[in-house]
Amino acid sequence: MPMRTLFPLLLWAATAHTALAADPLPIFDAHVHYSHDAWEMVPPKEAVAILRKAGLKRVMVSSSNDDGTQKLYAEAPDLIIPELRPYRTRGEVGTWFRSDTMVAHLEDRLKRYKYVAIGEFHLYGADADLPVPRRMVQLAKEYKLFLHAHSDADAIERMFKQDPNARILWAHSGFDQPGKVREMLRKHKNLWADLAFRSDHGSGGKVNPEWRAAFMEFPDRFMVGTDTYTPERWHYIIEHANWSRAWLADLPRTVAEKLAYKNGEAIFGNMMER
Amino acid sequence: MAGVAADDSAFSSAEKQAIARHGPWPQPVLRDPSNRGSGNADAIALGRALFFDARLSVKGDMACATCHQPARGLADGRDRAQGRERLDRNTPGLWNVGLAHWFGWDGAADSLWSFALRPILNSLELGATPAHVAKVLGGDPAYACLRRNAFGKAAATKASDDQMMVDAAKALAAFMETLNSGKSPFDELHDVLARGDAAAVAQYPADARRGLRIFAGRGNCAVCHFGPNFSNGEFHEIGIPYLLGAGRVDAGRQGGIKAVRADKFNLLGAFSDDASRASGSRTRHVTENHANFGQFKVPSLRNVELTAPYMHNGKLATLRDVVHHYSELSEDRLHQDGEALLKPLRLTDAEADDLVAFLRTLTSRQFPAVAPPLKPTCEPRK
Repeated sequence: MPMRTLFPLLLWAATAHTALAADPLPIFDAHVHYSHDAWEMVPPKEAVAILRKAGLKRVMVSSSNDDGTQKLYAEAPDLIIPELRPYRTRGEVGTWFRSDTMVAHLEDRLKRYKYVAIGEFHLYGADADLPVPRRMVQLAKEYKLFLHAHSDADAIERMFKQDPNARILWAHSGFDQPGKVREMLRKHKNLWADLAFRSDHGSGGKVNPEWRAAFMEFPDRFMVGTDTYTPERWHYIIEHANWSRAWLADLPRTVAEKLAYKNGEAIFGNMMER
Repeated sequence: MAGVAADDSAFSSAEKQAIARHGPWPQPVLRDPSNRGSGNADAIALGRALFFDARLSVKGDMACATCHQPARGLADGRDRAQGRERLDRNTPGLWNVGLAHWFGWDGAADSLWSFALRPILNSLELGATPAHVAKVLGGDPAYACLRRNAFGKAAATKASDDQMMVDAAKALAAFMETLNSGKSPFDELHDVLARGDAAAVAQYPADARRGLRIFAGRGNCAVCHFGPNFSNGEFHEIGIPYLLGAGRVDAGRQGGIKAVRADKFNLLGAFSDDASRASGSRTRHVTENHANFGQFKVPSLRNVELTAPYMHNGKLATLRDVVHHYSELSEDRLHQDGEALLKPLRLTDAEADDLVAFLRTLTSRQFPAVAPPLKPTCEPRK
């Protein structure tokens, strides 16, 4: 090839590489809360501006109470994907599954608003077999919704036992070890996992070898998430998106794109379109 | 109050072990290998003089002692420090500061001397430059002499402005290493328990004894307020809001980790006197995680009575308020898996009073005098 042909090709390749590097990887954030104190400290317009500045493609939002999710969805329906969190206040985190009024609350909200999931809720061990969680699993089935469970593996097993066709997004991957997460993903084809509020998989921009094995075995089953459990954490969303991009860059591009946004978009984005 | 009679009984063996872990006191302050002035009498004398010297500030109107006031537990009594303007954080007390391994509410300094540099360089505090500090240090004959004695003749003749400033900070650190408080009533209890002197043990006040049982028992306070200095030296989020205003947040430890790793004055940098860089091990290995956002340093509880108000932003005015915070802790503010230990203690008023009474027994009976030298003097050493 003559040099005068090669040179423009090299220039094109260099330019394309630069453009790719400068174009931030879109992120589907599967774990955001917008609870009552956040509405005051970070009003909806400001909140949406933060999400867009972070380069988030879509955001799954659940709030205590659910009005926060609805406020944000009204502000940016193209960006926000609503989940129904059971909690009417965040203080219900440890009591909701025994509340006499919880089922009526869930039924009422499900009739009135559009959701892709019930969650994120906290539920551990045998509590998953209590009447309120059992009815919640049934409601998810009736409305064809995911369950977004902050649970140990035991509670996940119990919910699948109640409904073998349930679809569960396992919040924080259960804060379990990558080996256990892989075991659960192998066992349950309808289980997905988010990586919110854990750093062990991608500290310092490098993917941990055990997690790498999990991501390579199940590239279609993981999503990233920030977890804005206090209002201040809204100011961490941009930092978290960039932190995620750093470790995702350590994976093959096709896998990185799936974890970053394609998995979330394929499942929850499509649910919003139906 | 129910349980008072039981609290008057002898300490159990488990309680004795818990108490033993908070001593002995005083603890030896080890020499800092990154600071060749550490433990050096001339460096200490220079540091003492600089601590009170307003010439160190760019406008000549502010010294370390402006905020770290001897009469206020080496803090300032304000909720948030007042520099050129109101700052975002509470001024930490300096008693026993030499026992820490991270410095500042965010741990952005990994040595006592790099900690001393922060207010010197901060435009909202002393606002000095390396050249300004070098001029102060070189322009005062007694300072120049003390520095030469402490840090060596060769360093004195060829030092850059940065090096001169670091020497000033190392002298300040050498002085701060001497700020060690004496025994407190709690330490006396610790000692007499170890000796098995039951009569002397009985002298420890009954309310403080009940508070100590809460502290070391169901309060789980000693998990973080650990060891002889009542601090594990690390960082936690305890449900104190950290929003500073519209669109502004105090990132706490997360920002501190970024800062210490990027700091050219850290223990891995050229200004450390530790040739092995072994003292920089923590800095070499510290990594960020998401929980760091909004975490602040666990302060020592020694002499805590003297340094109101409390918390990183001075939001809690009294020790009673601090105890109330932990008693009625809002679990809304905490991540279930981030700070799993923290649960509301639900103390009665009497129990809260007891816990405060215990904390007050951590105030030392003796403190070394902290006063500016009349005029520093120096005899050059050959």
